[in-house]
Amino acid sequence: MLNKVAIISTSILLYKVGGILSLRSQLLKGILEGCILSIINMQPAYGYELSVKLQQFGLSDVSEGSIYPILLRLQKEELIKGEMRASESGPKRKYYKLTEKGYEALQLFTHHWELIKEPVDNIIEQGGNAHGSD
Amino acid sequence: MEATEIIELNNEKRTRLTEHNLKYYEDMLLYIRLNGNKSEQQTEEVLLEMLEHLLQAQQEGKTAEEVFGSDPKAYCKEVIKEIPKEEQKNQISLIIMIVLQFLGIFIGVTGILGTALYFFFGIGNSLTTFSIGSGIAILVIDLILLGVFIFSILKWIKRGAFSKKETKKWVEFFQVWIICTVFIGLIMLIQRFMPAFGKEVSIPTFYLAILGALLYLSSYLMRKNQTT
Repeated sequence: MLNKVAIISTSILLYKVGGILSLRSQLLKGILEGCILSIINMQPAYGYELSVKLQQFGLSDVSEGSIYPILLRLQKEELIKGEMRASESGPKRKYYKLTEKGYEALQLFTHHWELIKEPVDNIIEQGGNAHGSD
Repeated sequence: MEATEIIELNNEKRTRLTEHNLKYYEDMLLYIRLNGNKSEQQTEEVLLEMLEHLLQAQQEGKTAEEVFGSDPKAYCKEVIKEIPKEEQKNQISLIIMIVLQFLGIFIGVTGILGTALYFFFGIGNSLTTFSIGSGIAILVIDLILLGVFIFSILKWIKRGAFSKKETKKWVEFFQVWIICTVFIGLIMLIQRFMPAFGKEVSIPTFYLAILGALLYLSSYLMRKNQTT
C-alpha cells in the first residue's frame, strides 16, 4: 500500500516537472512523422485524406489539425513534395508524394521502429505481468 | 498555382463556412498571413489546405475547435514556425521595386510639374536648385516614412478585417484618408523645414522628369521580369 502511494506520488511529481509530458509529445511527433511518410508512400494523398487515414488506423487521439505543421516540416526537409492538381471529385488539391530522400527517411524510420518495438513490447508485457502477479 | 490564384480561390471558398467557423478561420488567416518574412507561396498553400479541411469537417458536423483545437493562437504559432522563410532574393527585390517606384514617382512628378509650370505659366525657374546633403537626407526620411506608411496600412487591414461586420464603408474610407493625409503632410513638412546643407547644385528641371521616368521604368521592368 505504502509502496503504491510512493509510486503514485513520484509519478505525479515527474509529470509535474514536465519530463514525461514533453517526452510523450516528442515521441509522438517522431512517430507521427514516420506514419505520415508511410501513408504517403502507399499512395499520394492530400491533407484531409491523410488525417482520415491516420484515424482509420486508430490514431484517433491525434488532433486533425496537427498534421499541417508536420507536413510543412517534411516539405522543408525535402522528404515530401506537394503538388496542386485536380482531384477526382473536382477541386484542386495539394497532393503529397515521397521524394527519394523521403523514401530513405522512411526506411530509416522503419528500421529504428523495428529495433525499438519488440524490446519495448517485451518490457511492458513483463512489467505488466509482474504487477499483475504481485 | 501562383500565390495570387490561391488567394482568390481561398476568398471564394471561405464563403461556404458557417459563421462560427468563418470567424475562427479568419482569425487564423490573418495571424498566419501577416508574417512578413515567410514564403508567400507556402503560406497560401497551407492556408488553403486548412480551409479545405475545415470545409470537409464542417460537412460532417464538426466545428473548427474539433479540427484545430481550442487554442488557435498556439496552433498558428506552430504552423508559422514550420513555414520556410521567403527567399532573400524575393524579399530584397520587392523592397528595391518599391523604393524605385516611389523615387520614380516622386522625382518624376517634381520634374514634370516644375517644367510645365515654367514653360506654360512662367512660374518658377527652368533650373532646380537643391543641396546634395539635405536632398539625400529628405529622400532617406521619405523612404522611412513610406515604410511606416505601408506598415500602418497593413495594420489597418488586420484590424479592419477583424471587425468587418461593424465597420461602415465611409468610416473605413475616412480612416485610410487620414493615414494618407498624415503621410503626405509629413513628406511636405520635411521638405519645407529641412535646413539646407551640403553642396548646392542646379540642374535643368526636365532632367528630373527624365530621371524619374527611368527609375519608374526600371521598377516596371523588374516587376515584369518577376512574374514571367
